[in-house]
Amino acid sequence: MRHLRIFFRVIIETGIGVKRSGWSNWLVVSILAIALTIFGGILQLTMTMKNVVTACGSQLEISAYLKDGFQPKRVAREISQIPEVQLVEIVTKDVAWDEMKSTFKVASLANPLPNTLHIRASNPQAVEAVAAKVKLLGAVENIRYPLKVARKINDLRHFIELAGFAITAALSAATLTVIGNTIHLLIESRQREIEILSLMGVSPFYIKGPFILQGATYGAGSALVAILVLTGVHLYLDPYVTDQLVSIAPFLAKNLEYGLWETFAIVIGLGVLVGAGGSWWTSGRYIKI
Amino acid sequence: MIRLQNVTKDYGGSPALINVNLHIALGEFAFLVGPSGAGKSTLMRLLYREETPTSGSVFVGGVNLNRLHRRQVPLLRRRLGTIFQDYKLLPRQTVFNNVAYILRALGVDEKEVAKRVQSALSVVSLEHKGDAYPDELSGGEQQRVGIARAIVNGPPVLLADEPTGNLDPATSLEIVQLLERIAERGTTVFISTHDTTIVNALRRRVIYLKGGEIVSDVDSGVYELEPNLNV
Repeated sequence: MRHLRIFFRVIIETGIGVKRSGWSNWLVVSILAIALTIFGGILQLTMTMKNVVTACGSQLEISAYLKDGFQPKRVAREISQIPEVQLVEIVTKDVAWDEMKSTFKVASLANPLPNTLHIRASNPQAVEAVAAKVKLLGAVENIRYPLKVARKINDLRHFIELAGFAITAALSAATLTVIGNTIHLLIESRQREIEILSLMGVSPFYIKGPFILQGATYGAGSALVAILVLTGVHLYLDPYVTDQLVSIAPFLAKNLEYGLWETFAIVIGLGVLVGAGGSWWTSGRYIKI
Repeated sequence: MIRLQNVTKDYGGSPALINVNLHIALGEFAFLVGPSGAGKSTLMRLLYREETPTSGSVFVGGVNLNRLHRRQVPLLRRRLGTIFQDYKLLPRQTVFNNVAYILRALGVDEKEVAKRVQSALSVVSLEHKGDAYPDELSGGEQQRVGIARAIVNGPPVLLADEPTGNLDPATSLEIVQLLERIAERGTTVFISTHDTTIVNALRRRVIYLKGGEIVSDVDSGVYELEPNLNV
């Protein structure tokens, strides 16, 4: 009970500190919120890409585009001899062209589409082996399969992740400086008070605690602002992004995950960590008890 | 209650205290006198562990302060009531909150805080000034708030570093008589001062410090500017 009362008093002292900080509260929260929004945005983007990669990786289908002059049925028969192939479906160039014309307004052109075979492998591990064998066939012009796309997305994701974390690290360092300066100014303005409290035998936890909690409050407040912005952006962009992704890869309609809650949890965690960490370091440096 | 053994404090070549030996018993009332620069404040700071001696040992309540870990210093200070020349009150807190601060920081519940603060304020006759802010009080009243704050946690030792330095003679006498009354309740009171009037009015133990050395230690003494050496 006694510890609870002490903690309660530390919270009250934190509130007093926040009130005394005035305009600098807004400065700290704004800068940290910008850093967290960028971090959260990048995190969400890379998490979505990771989910797309995972979804692509679990797809069993390979599309093989045939050269003109080859009989699709004959090539399909040849491919179905491969042991790991479960099913081969033929989409002739005429069927594909009719489908395209029914979906889009297409000018009167000669049919430019190739005959296509949709090949299903027996398991995800077999996809690459089947793709390699199919590609070797003379009738096959090109192949596309989700795993190949996944690799490209994954390379891009790694790059975005790296760049994103570098930007976040730089912004976090800037934020730490601003938090440090704000808490330093607050400590300077309360130096006499701190000296008195120390001489009265008030514990370091009670003296430093409000400053550290104030930093954590900045972090939590900034994280909430960042979450609001990210939610807004997500709600605005979600239908567009989903349409685009599903049009590229229809199987994503069922598998698309944005990792929104994970992003929010990490943003709050990072915000509180940066806020409390900056204050802890500053109070340790400037409060000599 | 307070014991110094062969204590020397040296600030990089200029000694503030030289081989000081001193013992003040439980419940005793004593003055530490001497001219400015004699080492009085240094000795006081050693007692509340604001400083550590260059050599020798300082004991308060049987605890060797040389061996006290930094984390334990707040525990020591809670057992000491300390009164300062400049009062050291929290300017943005009311009288009540100034006195209550340490109790709240120790997690004492509010009913008990109110009871103890009222009791401490009544000892210094300021129970009606609880809602006032320090800058609304006279110097004497501010020092009485400082005394109330020092005694609110019931410390066995009260240290007063030049408590009347900023006060007129009449108020100084009131303050020191108040401290004497507190000592009568069993608290050890140790006052550093260079105010001859208050020392001579009370005729209590007087320890004379000059050039960092104790040159005189007399029970029921007076403060003479050039004391007879009577250690």
